[in-house]
Amino acid sequence: MKNQLNFRFIFLVLISAFFVSTGVQHLNAQTKKNKVRLKADYVKIIDGEMYLNIAASSKINKKNVKVSGIELTIFNVINDEKRALGNVTTNLKGETKFFLKSINAITPDSTNTYNLTVLFNGNDTFKKAKKSISFKNAEIKAKHIIKDSINYITATLIDKSTKEPIINESLDIQVQRLFNPLKVGDEFNYTDENGFIIIPVENGIPGINGELIIEVVLNDNDIYGTVKAIVNAPIGSPIVNEDTYEQRTLWAPRNKTPLFILIFANLLIIGMWGTIIYLITNLFKINKTKNSTL
Amino acid sequence: MKIHDKIIDDLVPKKFNKKDVIWVISLVVIILVGLIAYIDQLIKGQEVTNMRDYALWGIYISNFVFFVATSFVGTVTVAVLRLTNNSWRTPLVRIAEIISVAAIIMAGITIMIDMARPDRLLNLFIHARLQSPITWDVIIIPTYIVISLLLLYFPLLPDFAILKNRFEKKSPKLSKIYGKLSLNWTGNKAQKLLQKRSIRIIAIMIIPVGLLLQTIDAWLFSTTYRIGWDSTNFAPYFISGAFVAGLGALVTLIYIVRKTKKLENYITDYHFDKLGKFLALACLTYLYFNINEYLIPLFTAKKGESIHLETLFTGSYSVIFWLVTVVGLILPIIVLLFKKGRKPLPMFYIGLIVVIGSWWKRFVIVTPTLLHPFLPIQGVPESWHHYFPSMHEWLITFATLAMALLIITLCIRFLPVIPIQRTIDELKQQNIDKDKNIKS
Repeated sequence: MKNQLNFRFIFLVLISAFFVSTGVQHLNAQTKKNKVRLKADYVKIIDGEMYLNIAASSKINKKNVKVSGIELTIFNVINDEKRALGNVTTNLKGETKFFLKSINAITPDSTNTYNLTVLFNGNDTFKKAKKSISFKNAEIKAKHIIKDSINYITATLIDKSTKEPIINESLDIQVQRLFNPLKVGDEFNYTDENGFIIIPVENGIPGINGELIIEVVLNDNDIYGTVKAIVNAPIGSPIVNEDTYEQRTLWAPRNKTPLFILIFANLLIIGMWGTIIYLITNLFKINKTKNSTL
Repeated sequence: MKIHDKIIDDLVPKKFNKKDVIWVISLVVIILVGLIAYIDQLIKGQEVTNMRDYALWGIYISNFVFFVATSFVGTVTVAVLRLTNNSWRTPLVRIAEIISVAAIIMAGITIMIDMARPDRLLNLFIHARLQSPITWDVIIIPTYIVISLLLLYFPLLPDFAILKNRFEKKSPKLSKIYGKLSLNWTGNKAQKLLQKRSIRIIAIMIIPVGLLLQTIDAWLFSTTYRIGWDSTNFAPYFISGAFVAGLGALVTLIYIVRKTKKLENYITDYHFDKLGKFLALACLTYLYFNINEYLIPLFTAKKGESIHLETLFTGSYSVIFWLVTVVGLILPIIVLLFKKGRKPLPMFYIGLIVVIGSWWKRFVIVTPTLLHPFLPIQGVPESWHHYFPSMHEWLITFATLAMALLIITLCIRFLPVIPIQRTIDELKQQNIDKDKNIKS
């Protein structure tokens, strides 16, 4: 009887230990939630789209890890009031883009500053996080001109709310390329008192059909974010298509076999197999000339 | 008349004795084991081989190249010696033709084994690109098989007629088959004319086709931009190598046939002496191309090439490389330069060494190059940097070699290994010439 009691006691202790340890583990798991770092940049393309470039990362075991698949909500903050604009989810690289329909879709505060907040509500693995971003609405008016047979790109940078020129800010002039843009002009091209710059573009830059896509960029500005104007200028040297895809080459598909191979190989095949057929017919002839008196 | 009967008696195919039966059974067992390994390879895929991303051509391709090279013997001995009117070829040509047929058939089968999906074989024709040397190979191998068969068959016609009569009473069934195969050969003028003309056409035709076969085989390698293969020398290098491999096989087989069939009166020391000189010439030519192939890269080698050459000269493949070069090529030349070295028995050993050397030479050509690509593959297991054939590969390869030997054995069993009619004709001609000389 005493042994039986002992057995029950031990059984109860073991069961309790199991549940307690599971609970502790669960609590531990909850306490080990990681912080999420949010990064948000405002990008505006003149006469094009405007969006927030958002990236989420976390430091796990002293390593920066991209946080994928988390849902973020974007709010427009006007004074103390918050208005939800929409949701986005980060991709495998922990990145996402939130497109703004137009600048009129958001409301600025009394200082003509647009305030947006990116909010992550947290989940089982990550803590709640938030990132605020403020910017003013700037505009770049860029065009291509020719002066004394030299090609120039001119640009005027203005604050769209006040219509005032933005002075002493550096604009990048660059030609769109396949991987990274090709910078033109000096390293820094500061706007004058009229918010204006003029940059010569050298001849001979290759472009498809001689067309260059030139970007004038206010890059990652503290007040205005990134603003980009695109100018199409037919001032490049046309790229000559050296693609041999349509030609009859040794490396072309089989329907583009070089003619000399087609002719030579087929002549050989016909020559060889023609002779073989002739030889086989000779066998038949031998078979038939059993009683020949020739 | 009696002499003719004796010739026929000596040269007609004879039944297998006990040793022959054991030999055939052994070959069949090796083939069956290889067949089981091949079925397993078909089920599990090429994974069962040790071929990986680096050594994507292994022992199968070495074996294929060896068979292609050996098949060249038909071109060399039959066609070249015929067109150059070398009458000493008569007792040797049939065996050369048989080797040629067996080797080229096995080359075709071996390449299919390497391709892994025989069910997709037709795609080689349906999706063929004429720019690809692989396609040229697909065209030339069947062509060479057919020409080799015709080269074997046309001279056999009168012999089949003789065999038909010979076995009429002894074995009517066999006689009937020989009769069918003789195509009603009576030896009339029209038949002889057609036969003579056809053999001449084949003899002329097989030379460019044989050269094309070896050249295409070489181009399979040299059109692939690889260290050790990137050579304009490769086609003549392969042709001279095939010359050696084919003659080596011929010498070995002729010795065995001579001994087992007791043909010492027909295949004499004189024939071995002639063959020995021929083989010495072949080995010297091949040595010349070998020197070209390795010496020039030694002077001009860039880093990748020098690593490859180092592997061959002093590295992991050095033992095989030097054995193949010294024992398989230089030693035969030295021995064959002496008259005693061209006697039947030494010639047999030399032939055997040359054949084994030729097989390993193909291995040395194929594998080390693949292990040293210009752009090394990143992040592969260490084991992929080395290659040694798996058990499946060995079993299948031995089976293909056994299959070639079985084809040769069966041909020797049922066909006269020395042309009967031609031997009789030559003897007649010799007697006529003798009579003329006495009268004059």
